[in-house]
Amino acid sequence: MVFMIPVVLKNLFGRCATRPYPQSPRQLFAGSRGQLINDAGKCILCGTCARSCPSQCLTVSRKEGLWQYEPFACVFCGVCVEACPAGSLSQLGQWRPAVRERERVVLKVEVKSEKSGVRSEA
Amino acid sequence: MQTTALALAVLGAALLLGGLLSGLDRRLTARLQSRQGPPFTQPFFDVIKLLAKERMVTNPWQAFSPLATLSAAACALLLFAWQGDLLVILFVHMAGGVFLVLGAMASPSPYSQIAGQRELWQMLCCETLLFVMAGALYLTTGSFRVSGAAALGEPLLYRLPLLFAAFLLALTVKMRKSPFDLAGCHHAHQELVRGVFTEYVGPHLGLLEIAHWLEVVLYLAICSLFWATGPWGMILLPLTAFLAVIVLDNVSARLTWRWMLGWGWGAAFVLSAVNLFWLKG
Amino acid sequence: MAGTILPFGPQHPVLPEPLHLNLQIEDEIVVSATPAFGYVHRGLEKLADIRDFRQMIQVVERVCGICSMIHALTYCQGLEELMGIEPTPRARFLRVIWSELHRLHSHLLWLGLFADAMGFESLFMQLWKVRERIMDINEATAGNRVILSVNVIGGVRRDLDSGQTAWILSELAEVEKGFSAMSRTILHDYTVQKRTRGKGALSRSQAMELGCVGPMLRASGVSQDMRLLGYAAYGELEFAPVVEQDGDCYARCRVRFAELGQSIGLIRQAIAKLPAGDTSVPVKGRPPAGEVVARAEQPRGECLYYIKANGGKFLDRLRIRTPTFANIPALTVMLPGIELADVPVVLLSIDPCISCTER
Ligand code: SF4
Ligand code: SF4
Repeated sequence: MVFMIPVVLKNLFGRCATRPYPQSPRQLFAGSRGQLINDAGKCILCGTCARSCPSQCLTVSRKEGLWQYEPFACVFCGVCVEACPAGSLSQLGQWRPAVRERERVVLKVEVKSEKSGVRSEA
Repeated sequence: MQTTALALAVLGAALLLGGLLSGLDRRLTARLQSRQGPPFTQPFFDVIKLLAKERMVTNPWQAFSPLATLSAAACALLLFAWQGDLLVILFVHMAGGVFLVLGAMASPSPYSQIAGQRELWQMLCCETLLFVMAGALYLTTGSFRVSGAAALGEPLLYRLPLLFAAFLLALTVKMRKSPFDLAGCHHAHQELVRGVFTEYVGPHLGLLEIAHWLEVVLYLAICSLFWATGPWGMILLPLTAFLAVIVLDNVSARLTWRWMLGWGWGAAFVLSAVNLFWLKG
Repeated sequence: MAGTILPFGPQHPVLPEPLHLNLQIEDEIVVSATPAFGYVHRGLEKLADIRDFRQMIQVVERVCGICSMIHALTYCQGLEELMGIEPTPRARFLRVIWSELHRLHSHLLWLGLFADAMGFESLFMQLWKVRERIMDINEATAGNRVILSVNVIGGVRRDLDSGQTAWILSELAEVEKGFSAMSRTILHDYTVQKRTRGKGALSRSQAMELGCVGPMLRASGVSQDMRLLGYAAYGELEFAPVVEQDGDCYARCRVRFAELGQSIGLIRQAIAKLPAGDTSVPVKGRPPAGEVVARAEQPRGECLYYIKANGGKFLDRLRIRTPTFANIPALTVMLPGIELADVPVVLLSIDPCISCTER
């Protein structure tokens, strides 16, 4: 019992290890695997990402020019990012914010042109 | 009429004090564990939320027992405030404990039934100690009345130091703190889930929580008898005891009821006996 | 109370995961204990039918939330053996570093849960506070806190630069300071000893017969450690298994506590000897038809992978035997005869990882 007393007293007068989370979030470390984004301007719709994804949450359709992503099935492993030959995928230094409804990212990609648009569906 | 108003005022003050003490406990425990902890007023919000929830019981005893426990604790406190007989106060308080056990035993859940048995062992330990204390009060002041301690002229602690140590053990049991959080602790993290409280939900649990506050206040009030010469002693001594129990909670693991019955109670018994002989000798 | 049956779990506050135990109790003494499983079976082995052998790396990482890195490591080593690939020296040392970081955070987690099982909340909080630094190292070096996802067939996906290794060393010094401050409480505190000494004791022969692995076996006096096989870079590092003789919960606690220091030592050695070079070799093609058994030491003991490939993209069969699976039979011997209050302590002493076991 006595051995623990200095430890708890040090805690009492020291700084707490916890922080009020939603009010003061912690910065992620550089290199953390955060939110996945696709730069529609660079994507060539080759489908490599969809084939490599272990959770099969990506679908690429060349015909319709669509790159689709299910963030709720994604495990943020970063395999697709490394597989993408065009370097259009990247992971941000922050996590996806909590949301109330299920989202699906549908990205309209026009290969060899700059136009793109993001749309979310429930 | 005036008495009723006064009684209500006393109870109100005890409730406020009990809730704040519980808040202080949670905050201090958190800080000792390097956590931030909830605001001091959190226990009030918790209890209000519990009281506002749906009523659900498995049988009528579960509805009645919390009320009985709460009224017994309130009565005991009022008797104390009116400087009554310590023996009567203890009997009334014990009746509340019996109802707590009855409520726990009333449900077929093995968790709360085993906890009910453990609670009985705890009562055996605590209440006998308190009765010995009442006896010691009589031996020193010539009366069982609470007012006797104040009339003594010097702190009772000087005469009963070992009994005070034994009393601290009883306080740990009553506050449901390690090493004696056997029949139910504040966080449902033990083999019996939340012990005697396991099968309660909503308003009934809220009432038991309030009863617990009142019981802690009663015990601290009894603690203040040990230094009843002036207001400072009556505040500082119980506060120190309260803080000591919280620190103890954070530096020890939970022991078993067999240990409590053997070593804990044994030690308390020896301490009290030595103190009594010394008093007489 | 004569013949009460206590349904312990699957939802019980002292259990981190859903395990069900039917405890028959008399006067708070356990008469018999029957474990039951099946609450977190996810069919991960079967996924090998529809995920190719590379995607399976991310799948096997999810077998266990605590030793994810070592699961992927065992799987990758198995496939490397099958495909005749030799990972680069740097990758082998990096694998040791991340494996030992995993062992560290797993043992700290366990020590915390163990403290909580005996009602020592402040010790639990304190140990998890120390553990948080390791999680930070994981996140900063591998990208995630728990599921590191650093292994690939032929090496690792991430590298450490000299700034990072220096930072890891300085953080580890803090971690060491943190848990050393608790050593006297964990090893010599009266209440902790009261709750752990002599509880759930297994003799050397019992532990062997019941097929225990890892710290359970080492606490009963058997010096068995898969790292002695010398996989990854363990063959080039100096260490000896931590062995205790008593075989009770206290001995298991001592073993795991001593292994904290051992892991830090191994990381220091690995960083000091870290060779230069690539982190992975390029891998072409598919695993050839054949079967292989891979073994590695997880924080909880020996983990065994059986991999059968048919030359195609998908594996024929993947079988994972996790350490907890091997340690659970010991529970049926250890639980009868102890007090109800000691059930959480004995149960936690095997470091149960139920998700692992059920896969
Ligand atoms: S994101 Fe990359 S891998 Fe995926 S389709 Fe576009 S270019 Fe190909
Ligand atoms: S991060 Fe992993 S799971 Fe998510 S989309 Fe990329 S490959 Fe799939």
